[in-house]
Amino acid sequence: MDLFLQTLVNGILIGGILICLTIGFQLTFGVLHVIDFAVGGWTMLGGYTAYWLVTLAGIDPFISIFLVFALFLLIGRGLGPLIYHVRTSRYARPDLMALAFTFGIFLFMRGGALWLWSYNSRSVESVLSGQFLSLGPVTIPLMRLSAFVMALLFSLGLFILLYRSRFGMAVRALAQNHDHAGLMGVDVKRVSAWVYGIYTALTASAGVLIATVYSVNPSVGIRYTLFAFFVAVLAGLGSVGGVLVAGLALGLLEAYVATYIGARYSLLIVFGTLYLTLLVAPKGVLGRGI
Amino acid sequence: MASKPDLTPKLIVRSLLIGAMVIALVALPAAIDPYTLRIATGALMWAGLACAWNIVGGYAGYISFGHSAFFGIGAYTTAILMQSDVGASFFVTLLPAIILSMAVAVAIGGPTMRLRGAYFAIATWAFAEMLLQLVTVLDFTGGTSGLSLPAYLNEFFFYYTMLIASAASFIGVWVLIERSRFGFRIKALRDDEPAAESLGIRTNLVKVQSFALSAAITALFGSIYAYWTTYIDPYSVMGPEITDQMVVMVLLGGLGTVWGPALGGVLLWITNRYIWSTFGDTVIYLPILGVIIALVVLFLPNGLISLIMGRQRGKELISRILGKL
Amino acid sequence: MSSAYHKAESSEYPPLAIESVSKHFGGITAVDDVSLSADVSEVVGVIGPNGSGKSTLFSLAAGGQKPDAGKIRLQGIDVTGWPTWKIARTGISRTFQIPSLFLNMSVRDNLLAAAVEGDWKRARERMESTLEMLEISHVIDNLTSELSGGQQKLVEFGRVCVRDPKVILLDEVTAGVHPNIRQIILDAIQQLRKTGITFLVIEHDMEMVKEICDRLVVMDQGKVVAEGDFETIASDSNVQQAYLGRT
Repeated sequence: MDLFLQTLVNGILIGGILICLTIGFQLTFGVLHVIDFAVGGWTMLGGYTAYWLVTLAGIDPFISIFLVFALFLLIGRGLGPLIYHVRTSRYARPDLMALAFTFGIFLFMRGGALWLWSYNSRSVESVLSGQFLSLGPVTIPLMRLSAFVMALLFSLGLFILLYRSRFGMAVRALAQNHDHAGLMGVDVKRVSAWVYGIYTALTASAGVLIATVYSVNPSVGIRYTLFAFFVAVLAGLGSVGGVLVAGLALGLLEAYVATYIGARYSLLIVFGTLYLTLLVAPKGVLGRGI
Repeated sequence: MASKPDLTPKLIVRSLLIGAMVIALVALPAAIDPYTLRIATGALMWAGLACAWNIVGGYAGYISFGHSAFFGIGAYTTAILMQSDVGASFFVTLLPAIILSMAVAVAIGGPTMRLRGAYFAIATWAFAEMLLQLVTVLDFTGGTSGLSLPAYLNEFFFYYTMLIASAASFIGVWVLIERSRFGFRIKALRDDEPAAESLGIRTNLVKVQSFALSAAITALFGSIYAYWTTYIDPYSVMGPEITDQMVVMVLLGGLGTVWGPALGGVLLWITNRYIWSTFGDTVIYLPILGVIIALVVLFLPNGLISLIMGRQRGKELISRILGKL
Repeated sequence: MSSAYHKAESSEYPPLAIESVSKHFGGITAVDDVSLSADVSEVVGVIGPNGSGKSTLFSLAAGGQKPDAGKIRLQGIDVTGWPTWKIARTGISRTFQIPSLFLNMSVRDNLLAAAVEGDWKRARERMESTLEMLEISHVIDNLTSELSGGQQKLVEFGRVCVRDPKVILLDEVTAGVHPNIRQIILDAIQQLRKTGITFLVIEHDMEMVKEICDRLVVMDQGKVVAEGDFETIASDSNVQQAYLGRT
């Protein structure tokens, strides 16, 4: 029973980070209609940035996460118009071309990280590392708890932006219909670029948290791309709200499989579930739309 | 109708070119050292793999990120059947490898190819990763430590085997897609599925057929590769790099063209080996692949082949780079 | 009205019979208990304001969507619920409101692709004669993505003709095209109907409707509100209300 509770807590804590990881991805799909293969790449780069900031400048990841957010907001904002261009080009099957394009970006990130920083896993140290909070039978690493809270704050921030601001209204209008939003005076290209920026910023921030809780190496990208896909598919592609449930579901699934079946089976079961979910309910289990 | 006579001089030139190429390919091993011969063998393999991926990705318009699964199925089938307790000879293992891969392709192709675009890409990727994870935990695949095959150190044998397999793949695809009804079905499916249906084309069947064909060719090369390298492990035959390269080779050469994949496959494999011999490893190769994909999508969506064989494509390329459509 | 074609129980079934067909999307009833049949060589115009269910009706007839209730018969064969390709092979062919051409293929290949499930031996010949009839032989080698809007409409129309179907559904085939092209299409319809092909056309162009349609069916809010020849319809108060009663 203790083990069960401990696993529950672990699952929820990781699930919170997965929510932050996927929520921007969903927004991008909703607005730009682009499935970004590079989602794991942004996660990985966020982790590495935090690693170098703490190693070279001694900035704790819970502070540097804001720097990472700002940095990747700008990078994403810069890349956004390119993605928009590919997605809206006259070329036949622009959806597939956009897919291939982000796949290329991802390959570039993954290969670049491998080339620059080699296969080694690097862990990101924080002042909270190695501290625990005991609640009855359950032990909670403080870092995981803080990461969870941080992830939820970022996600909450996105919701406030979406539902309580002019910009958010434009974004939601875009997600409903490009043409109509354009007619109503929304600068589709600019808003899309900012959405892409927000997405990369959120995902990189989640990457900081993941690197702090686990570690970072060039091959984590693939894993988190698939995790993001998993959460997104379960939530219904483009559904921002569904991510809240789907993220927790994946966190719990992974935690319970690791505890009760064995960690080496966890990826097998995660990918198997993802594949079956796609076959059974490609439109998602938890509703759709922003 | 009137265009037939115009084609004749072109046809002669083309047959001469093809004849010269065949002679060059057959005579090549006599002219080069064993190291270069290995590179040539690899180039043939990648050209063939690109050709296989192109059937689904280029002609049917379904971007698969899961073809490493079929490569692995071929490689593992051959490796397992050639273990000393079974002791099958190499050529005997090809048939079960191909049949198994086609069976898997038909089984997963039906439901998976109901998914469109990105959903299909994700599903195939998830499937391939699932299979990769599965072979690492199973016993009869040797888990993470992989399998060794009986060594057969005859580079000429592998060169000619790859040559035959590759040539058969390209000729097969050319006949089937450029010279038969099947080609119209598959291209119509790619361009507009509802319209193809409305013309009586049974798109679900065409999709599964093309997926199975593509899987069979991929598995064939997986089998030969396993025997060639004499040792396989999960990541060497099912790792994401296999699919990555297939995708990039086809995109670079020309999506949905017969000869584009050959061009892309050979070029990229030579680049890969060149980087390997210059830097001692191929790590820088991956980011280069990434940049190539991005550039091709932005500036050359019809691939390199369009510069050689297409009409007015050069002009289009320039206008695309300069003026953004 | 729904008994009009049951007389044909003996031998001659109407090429197309839609029997009490309904289709709902969520809470909206797009097509509401519509019955309609067309005879050999007949040209039936389907008119009505935007959103009145005309295109949905076409999709139901050609199998793109399955009706929630009712039956679709082709030459008396009940094809309700069949897959689209199978219905298409039974002898029905359609164009789409937005031309859905194979944009990466040449005009020639577009037409050949249409013949691929039919008489393949004569496909080339049919393709050439269709291009001639539609006066687009000169663009045979062009990619369809390079054509003008009007030419694209012609190619889509040509694709339908090459298949040699019994029933052709045309969804706003002349909308927004040059008068010359419109005339080409009109002539082709007249020519093809003489060979026994039945047409159902969705049209907004009343002049064209008047010129080629033997009979009109007016739809509004998913229902058939009037039926008859052009003069009857033009003076029908239901029709005027359908068009003018709402914006």
